[in-house]
Amino acid sequence: MISFTNVTKEYENQTALRDITFVVEKGEMAFITGPSGSGKTTLLKLIYSAEKPDEGTISVAGFELDQLKEPSIPMLRRHIGVVFQDFRLLANRNVFDNVAMALRIRNMPEREIKHKVYETLKAVNLRHKADSFPRRLSGGEQQRVVIARAMVADPTVLLADEPTGNLDADTAEGVVRTFKDINARGTTMLIATHNRDLYRNTGRKVIRLEAGTLVSVGQG
Amino acid sequence: MAPYAFSLAFQSLVREKWINLLSVFTIASGLLIISIAFFAAYNIDAATRKLPEKFAMILYLDDAITRDKVDGILGTLRKKSAVAQVRYISKDDAMKELKALLKNANYVFEGLDENPLPDSVEVRLKRDAVTPEQVRKLTEEIAGIKGIKEVDYGEKFLDALHSLKSGVRTVGLAIIVVMAIGIIFVCYSTVKILFYRRTEEIETFKLLGATKFFIRAPFLIEGGVIGVCGGLGSLGSILILNYVVIARLSSAVPLLATLLFPLNLFLLLPLIGLFLGITGAMIAIGRLQY
Repeated sequence: MISFTNVTKEYENQTALRDITFVVEKGEMAFITGPSGSGKTTLLKLIYSAEKPDEGTISVAGFELDQLKEPSIPMLRRHIGVVFQDFRLLANRNVFDNVAMALRIRNMPEREIKHKVYETLKAVNLRHKADSFPRRLSGGEQQRVVIARAMVADPTVLLADEPTGNLDADTAEGVVRTFKDINARGTTMLIATHNRDLYRNTGRKVIRLEAGTLVSVGQG
Repeated sequence: MAPYAFSLAFQSLVREKWINLLSVFTIASGLLIISIAFFAAYNIDAATRKLPEKFAMILYLDDAITRDKVDGILGTLRKKSAVAQVRYISKDDAMKELKALLKNANYVFEGLDENPLPDSVEVRLKRDAVTPEQVRKLTEEIAGIKGIKEVDYGEKFLDALHSLKSGVRTVGLAIIVVMAIGIIFVCYSTVKILFYRRTEEIETFKLLGATKFFIRAPFLIEGGVIGVCGGLGSLGSILILNYVVIARLSSAVPLLATLLFPLNLFLLLPLIGLFLGITGAMIAIGRLQY
């Protein structure tokens, strides 16, 4: 489902990722780990084509990213749900509209959007906050809104960038539980985190980066 | 998609109401200036359009000219391609016409023993021949005909009128072009500002998989709406100008009452605004890198 082959990415002569090769199979839930600045976010950005690799090939959900033309990027992104580290919630829209946005860009009819959004908000236990604005929500609630937005369109791949970074242990546990539920439905998942508690003893694939280099691919 | 693009556009129009209102007023002012320039050019053009029907050349004949020679001159004139109608006016007929014209000032003719007026020929030209160049050329040809003493056609008046007509047309066209470019620039700048104010939102849309059309459509709609509102504003202003200001002033200045108001053309102002607004928005989003 996600395949990196000898991928290198540089920013102004600084190597962010060097010669990365790994595969995440369809339906798999994998983790990318490593200290801050190790290249986790860059790797995720390469997957949803916010960045282009300087070398190597990337394949995601059947898209060969090195051959992907600009007009096709939205089509790739519609196969991917992303839980952004900085949330990227729209402050002037309520929870419902923030989640619905992922479906509106797909031209889904409003009636269907309403049904899917409420169903997804229920799944992340935020149905009662549908009319609230992001600033009125706690960090954990905002995080769940972002997860709802990422999963509402039933993507084939879900990426999460430090999804528990600002959360307390209980809330983080709830987020992980939600991810497991999403994965159980067959969604391929790649979670970037430096929180070992998320992948320890899970038996899931763990890809470890250090200073832009892949150090190991093992099991948590 | 289309209803949501409209929804996004109207949300932005309301959210950024002050920028949008300012743009609408600027566009309305620009279109009003265009309308006034057009109104002036239209009326001057309409006034000069009636000129060919009234325009006539008068050829004064030699005193001792015979009827045969007059008939010869009339025949020569009728063969000219620019000539529409030729009428011989004998000196007696000319005096009768003059007396009819000055019937309230008969004292002018007191003590006049003999008729001082010459025989003459009135020449009316075809509509498209009434231009200073053609009239001047025809005058030179006619002046060479034996038996014709003098040709009179109000040369200065004809020149002045045509200069005025072409001057008004040139100035009017220049005003229209400059103001239209100005309006497009206002729409361009407004859409660019609106775009930059929504950069974060647009970036999120893109990351969620929005197509360029999804992102651009609301801006085109906003440009169009701003243009239409500007057009409606200018239409309202020109209607007030005509039906309130000019109507009231015409009692004091009767000439104003004769002005033509092409309402059906002014009703196109919102459409012109729509076109200029969308053009400005298209240029703006075409130049933005995102």
